[in-house]
Amino acid sequence: MILGVDVGGTFTDLVLLDPHGQIRVHKLPTSVHDPSVAIWQGIADLGADPRAVVVHGTTVATNALLERRGARTALITTAGFRDVLEIGRQTRSELYALYPTRPVPLVPAPWRFEVPERMDRNGMVLTPLDLQETDAIVSRLMEEQIESVAVCFLFSFLNPTHERQVRERIVQPRGSSAPFVSLSCEVLPEYREYERTSTTVINAYVAPLISRYLTNLEEKLGERRLRVMQSNGGTISAEAARTHAAQTVLSGPAGGVMGAFAVARMAGLDQCITLDMGGTSTDVSLCPGRVQETAEGMITGLPLRLPMIDIHTIGAGGGSIARLDAGGALRVGPQSAGADPGPVCYGNARAQEITVTDANLVLGRLDADHFLGGRMKLDVERTRAYMEELARRLNLPLATAAWGVIRVVNSNMERAIRTISVERGYDPRRFTLVAFGGAGPLHACELAAALRIPRVLVPLHPGVLSALGMVLADAMKDYSQTVMLPAGQVSAEALQGLFHALQERARADLHAEGFDDTQIMFQPALDMRYVGQSYELTIPLVPQAGAAAGPSAPGIQEWVRAFHEAHRQRFSHADETEPVEIVNLRLKATGQSPKPRFLYEEPRDLDPRAAVIGQKAVYFAPDSLVPRPLPTTLYERQRLAPGHRLLGPALVVQLDATTLIPPDWAARVDGWRNLIIEPC
Amino acid sequence: MNPVDPIALEIFKNLFISVAEEMGVTLGRTAYSPNIKERRDFSCACFLADGRMIAQAAHIPVHLGAMPASVRAALESFSQWRPGDLVVLNDPYLGGTHLPDITMVSPVLVEGREDPPFFVASRAHHADVGGMSPGSMPLATEIYQEGLIIPPIKLIEAGRLNQAVFDLILRNVRTPAERRGDLAAQMAAHRVGEHRLQEIVAHYGLDQVLRFAGWLLAYAERMTRLAVERIPDGVYRFRDELDDDGFSAAGAGWSGRPESSVGSSAPVIQATITVQGDQMTVDFTGSSPAVIGPLNAVRAITESATWYVIRCLAGPDVPVNSGTFAPVTVVVPRGSLLDADPPHAVAAGNVETSQRIVDVVLGALAQALPDLIPAASQGTMNNLTIGGTDPERGTPFAYYETIGGGTGAGPAGPGLGGVHVHMTNTMNTPIEALEYAYPVRVRRYELRRGSGGGGRYRGGDGVIREIEFLCPATVTLLTERRRTAPYGLQGGEPGAPGRNLLIRQGKASDLPGKVQIRVEPGDILSVHTPGGGGWGSPSDHTEN
Repeated sequence: MILGVDVGGTFTDLVLLDPHGQIRVHKLPTSVHDPSVAIWQGIADLGADPRAVVVHGTTVATNALLERRGARTALITTAGFRDVLEIGRQTRSELYALYPTRPVPLVPAPWRFEVPERMDRNGMVLTPLDLQETDAIVSRLMEEQIESVAVCFLFSFLNPTHERQVRERIVQPRGSSAPFVSLSCEVLPEYREYERTSTTVINAYVAPLISRYLTNLEEKLGERRLRVMQSNGGTISAEAARTHAAQTVLSGPAGGVMGAFAVARMAGLDQCITLDMGGTSTDVSLCPGRVQETAEGMITGLPLRLPMIDIHTIGAGGGSIARLDAGGALRVGPQSAGADPGPVCYGNARAQEITVTDANLVLGRLDADHFLGGRMKLDVERTRAYMEELARRLNLPLATAAWGVIRVVNSNMERAIRTISVERGYDPRRFTLVAFGGAGPLHACELAAALRIPRVLVPLHPGVLSALGMVLADAMKDYSQTVMLPAGQVSAEALQGLFHALQERARADLHAEGFDDTQIMFQPALDMRYVGQSYELTIPLVPQAGAAAGPSAPGIQEWVRAFHEAHRQRFSHADETEPVEIVNLRLKATGQSPKPRFLYEEPRDLDPRAAVIGQKAVYFAPDSLVPRPLPTTLYERQRLAPGHRLLGPALVVQLDATTLIPPDWAARVDGWRNLIIEPC
Repeated sequence: MNPVDPIALEIFKNLFISVAEEMGVTLGRTAYSPNIKERRDFSCACFLADGRMIAQAAHIPVHLGAMPASVRAALESFSQWRPGDLVVLNDPYLGGTHLPDITMVSPVLVEGREDPPFFVASRAHHADVGGMSPGSMPLATEIYQEGLIIPPIKLIEAGRLNQAVFDLILRNVRTPAERRGDLAAQMAAHRVGEHRLQEIVAHYGLDQVLRFAGWLLAYAERMTRLAVERIPDGVYRFRDELDDDGFSAAGAGWSGRPESSVGSSAPVIQATITVQGDQMTVDFTGSSPAVIGPLNAVRAITESATWYVIRCLAGPDVPVNSGTFAPVTVVVPRGSLLDADPPHAVAAGNVETSQRIVDVVLGALAQALPDLIPAASQGTMNNLTIGGTDPERGTPFAYYETIGGGTGAGPAGPGLGGVHVHMTNTMNTPIEALEYAYPVRVRRYELRRGSGGGGRYRGGDGVIREIEFLCPATVTLLTERRRTAPYGLQGGEPGAPGRNLLIRQGKASDLPGKVQIRVEPGDILSVHTPGGGGWGSPSDHTEN
C-alpha cells in the first residue's frame, strides 16, 4: 500500500493506492502551524494500513525561500571570491527600471567568509588550504550562532580535498552539535562557480528546516516508512532528504506532471502537454512521450541547478485579478486575490476586485450550488454587482465583459503553451492537453481550440494529481561530474572508469534505501558541446539494467554521433568536422518498486442520462466575440462510467473541479474514467 | 461603444509581442556564436509599412531606437518589394549603430495586397566583422578601420540569395563559418516572423489587424504621455563629460596616435529638456563636435538612450512600440558627437557614449523630479578585449567581456553593486569557464567596497576584477568614468571613478581608460569599475 500526501498552502491532498489498483482520494484543509496534524487526520479518515509507505511532498523548502525565512547560513569561499554569490551573472532582473532589482542573496555579506586556497583547471593545488584561517573562521561561525554552512571553492569538483578539510575542521571537534555543512563538491560537482555556489547555499539554507520538519513527521507517523518527493519527479528516503534538502524544492508541481503524464500514458496519449491551473498560477509542461527535465532551474530568481522537471509557470489562475489599466487595456493577473481575501464570489467583504473565478461564475461556468461539492456557497448577486461595475468601465454588456476576462487569461495561458511547444520546435496539434488543478478543466477546451490542440484529457481526480504522481513515483537519484574532456582524445575505458565511480556511489545509496540490484536501473548521459560553445546538450544512452553503465557497448564515436544529431535537431545545424568536448558525466539511478495497475473497466455503451443532475444557461462565444447563453446539461462526475458519451455544451461537476465541454465538442469516459474531450 | 476594445487591446499586445519573441527564440536557438546564443546580444521587431514599430523583443536597450532607423533606411533604399526579399545592413550612417550590429529587414506580404503591410527586422551583434582588430571594436579614428561596411543591400531577392554579396561579406570577416551560421539564424528568424504575421492576418483579416496595431500604438503613446504629464512643466538642463576622446589622455591609444588629437579631451554632452504638458523635447545642442576616437554616436544611439529613459519613467507595462516615441522630440546637432558624420569611428558610441547620454538625460530630469530620479550609475560597460596565442593549444584566441559596476542610489533606497547598468544587461563569463577556455587566471572578483557614493542612501559598489595572464597577450581597454565620477544627487556624494591598473612584478601602475597594451606572463590586469552615485545628504543618514 502506498499513500501519497501533498501538503499545499490551502489543502492537504491524500491518494491511497491499494494492491488491487484501487484508488481512494481525500482532501482536507492544511493545518498551517503543524502540517502533520492534517496529515495524521487524513490518514485516519482513509483508514490507511499502518505499514503503508508514505510518499510526501512538502512546500517547507519552497516557502522558506519565498519568504526568506531559512536557517542562519554562512558561506566560505576561495579568497577573492566571496561576492560571487551577490554579483551572480552581473545582470539585473528588469531591462527598463529606474530602480533595477536583483534577488537578495541568501547569505548577507558579513556571513560570507573567504579562506586562502586555490586549485587550477586541472584540479592541481596552486595555494594550499590555510588551516589557521579556516579555524579562525569556524570560531566566528560559532560566535554568530550559524546553523548551516555552505562551502564552495573554485574547481572543487575536480579536487574536493580542501572543501572536505573545511568540513572536518567544523564537524570533528563538535560532533552532533556542529552546524549543518553543505559542500559544493557533493551538492553539485559541476563547473560554473555562481550556479554551483547558489545551489549549495540553497541546500544549506533549507536543510535544517527540512530536517526538523521530517523528524517531527516521522515521530507522528510511527512505523510507517516515509519517503520524500523531489523536483526531479522521483522520491528519496527521509534520511537522504535531510542532506539533499534542495532537491525537495518544487516537488509539488513535479508530482503534478508525473501524475498527469502517468494518467495520459495509461490512456495511450503519451504525447501530452500538462496544464495545472490553480488559484494564483498555472504550470505547463510538455511531455513528448516522456517527462522532460531541465538543468536550468530557478527558484525566486536564484539558480538551482539540480535536475528538475521542466515546468513553465505563469502568474495566471482562478484568483487572478482583472483590472483596466491607465492606457485602457483589460489586464488579468499576475496579482491574485489568493486565499485571502479570495474571489468576490467567496463573499469576503474585502474581496472587491473581479477575478477569473468570478467571471466564470457570471458566465454560468461554475455552478453556485455544486462548488467544492456544495460545501461552499458562491455569492452570485455580489459577484454580478462587482462585474457590472467592471463592465461599465469597459463600456460592455455584463456577459461580454466577463467573457473578456476569460479571453485575456486564456491568451496569457496560450502564450505560455506556445513558449514550451512552438518555440521549442513542437507542434501543439500533435499533443493532448491534460488539464487539472482547480481551474484547468474549465479553461482547457477553449485553450485547446485556440492552439488547435485536437484533444483534452481530464483525469478522474483532477484536484489531487500531485499526490497521485507521488504514489506512482520511483526512487530516483541524480549524479553528475564535470570532466571537460576532448571527445576525440578520451578512451572508452577512461570514460567507463569515471562512470563506474558514479555508479558505485549510486548503488551504495540505493542499497541503503532498501533496493537490491534487480530493482536498480542506471541511465548514463553525457553533456557535450562543440569546443568554444558555452552551453551543453545532454545526450542520454538507452537505460541499462543492473550491472554496466557507461559507454562500453557503444564507443565514444556513438555518443559523438548522437551529439551531432541532437545538435541538428535542436539548433537546426551541426558540423561533424568540429571538435566536440565532454563537459559533464550524468547518471540517473532509479530504484523501481512494483506498482499495481490501475483498475480498468471495459467501456460499455451506456446512456449517460443517469449522471444528469440538471440544466442551466451557460454563456459561450463560438465566434469568440459575443457570448450567448445556451441551455447546458449538468453532469455529476461520480456518476459517469466507462463508455459514457456526453455532447457539449455540458458541465461536469465534481468535488474539486468543474469541466466545461463547449458546443461542438464531445466527451467520452474511457476505461480509467478519464474524460477524453474532442471537437466533433 | 468604446472606440477601443480593451480586451482586443490586451490580446493583440500578447499576439504582436509573441511574433517578435518567436523570432528571437529562433535566432537565439539557431545562432552559432556565444555572443548571440548566451549573451543574447540581439533584438527582433515587427513594423507597419510606414516604418512605425509595433512590437519589439529586446534584450539590449541600445537597440530600442536603432531598429526603426534600420527599417527607415531599408524603406528609403527600396520601393519595390516581393515575397522573399531580405535587406541586410550595418552601415552606422545608413540605419546601423556600429559595424558588429548587423541588421536584416524583410517585407511581410499577404494575399490580396501588392504592397507589404508589415515588415520584420532583426539585429544581432556579430563577434567579428573584420577591420583592424579581432572583435571589430578597435581604438580607431575612421570607420574604415572598424570593419566591413554594408549599406542596405537586398541579400535575398524574391527568395534567391545573392551569393556574390554573401561571399564578399564572408571573405571580409575573421570567422566566416561562424558568421555564415549567425546570418543564417537571422534569416530563419525572419521566416518565422513573416509566417506568424501572415497567420494572424489569415485569422483576423488584414483590416482588423491593422486597426489593432493602430490601437496598440495609441495605447503606448497614451501611457507614455501620462508619464510625461507627471513631469512638472519647465526647462531643465544638465551637462556631463566623457573622460577623453580615446587618444588625448596621457599614454592612451596606440603609439602611432595622431598628434592633432592632443588637447581635444573631455568631450561634453549637454541636454536641455523642455516639458510642456504631455509633450517633451530633449535638445542636445551644446554637445561637443564629433571626436577623433571611436566614441562617436550616430543619431539612432542618441535616440535609443533618450527613449530608454522615457521607458524607465513610463513603467514596465507599456508595450515597446513607436507610440512611446511620439510624445518626445529629440534634437541633435548634426556633426556632433551625438550625430557624427562619416567617416568618424563609432564602435564605442554604442557601448560608452550611450551610457553618458542616459546620465545626462536623467540628470536633467532629476531637477524636475527630485523625488524620483536616481543618481548616476557606473556609466560605462568596461569593455575588455584580450588576444594572443594559447601556448598549450598553439591556437590564436580572442576574448571580449564587459564588466558591471554600481547603480545610483535614489529616494527609493541604495544602489545595487556589481551589475550592468542602463544600456546593456549582458552576462559575465564564469571564472571557471574563462580559465578552462583561455590562458588566464582570475585572481579576484569582488565588490569594490566603499566605491558607491555616500549619502542618505549609498550608491552601489563597483567591482574589482583581476586577471593574471599566463602567456603574452594584447589587451585593449575601452572604459569610461575613470576621470569624471558618476554624480550624486540631492546632496549625495559621487561614486568613485573606475581605475585600470597593471600589476607587473608586484608593482601596480595606472593605465589610461582607453588603451591597448602588451602584457607578459605573470602580469595582472586589475579593473576597478566605478561605484554609483549616492542620494540625499549624508547627514540624514538615518535609513540606510
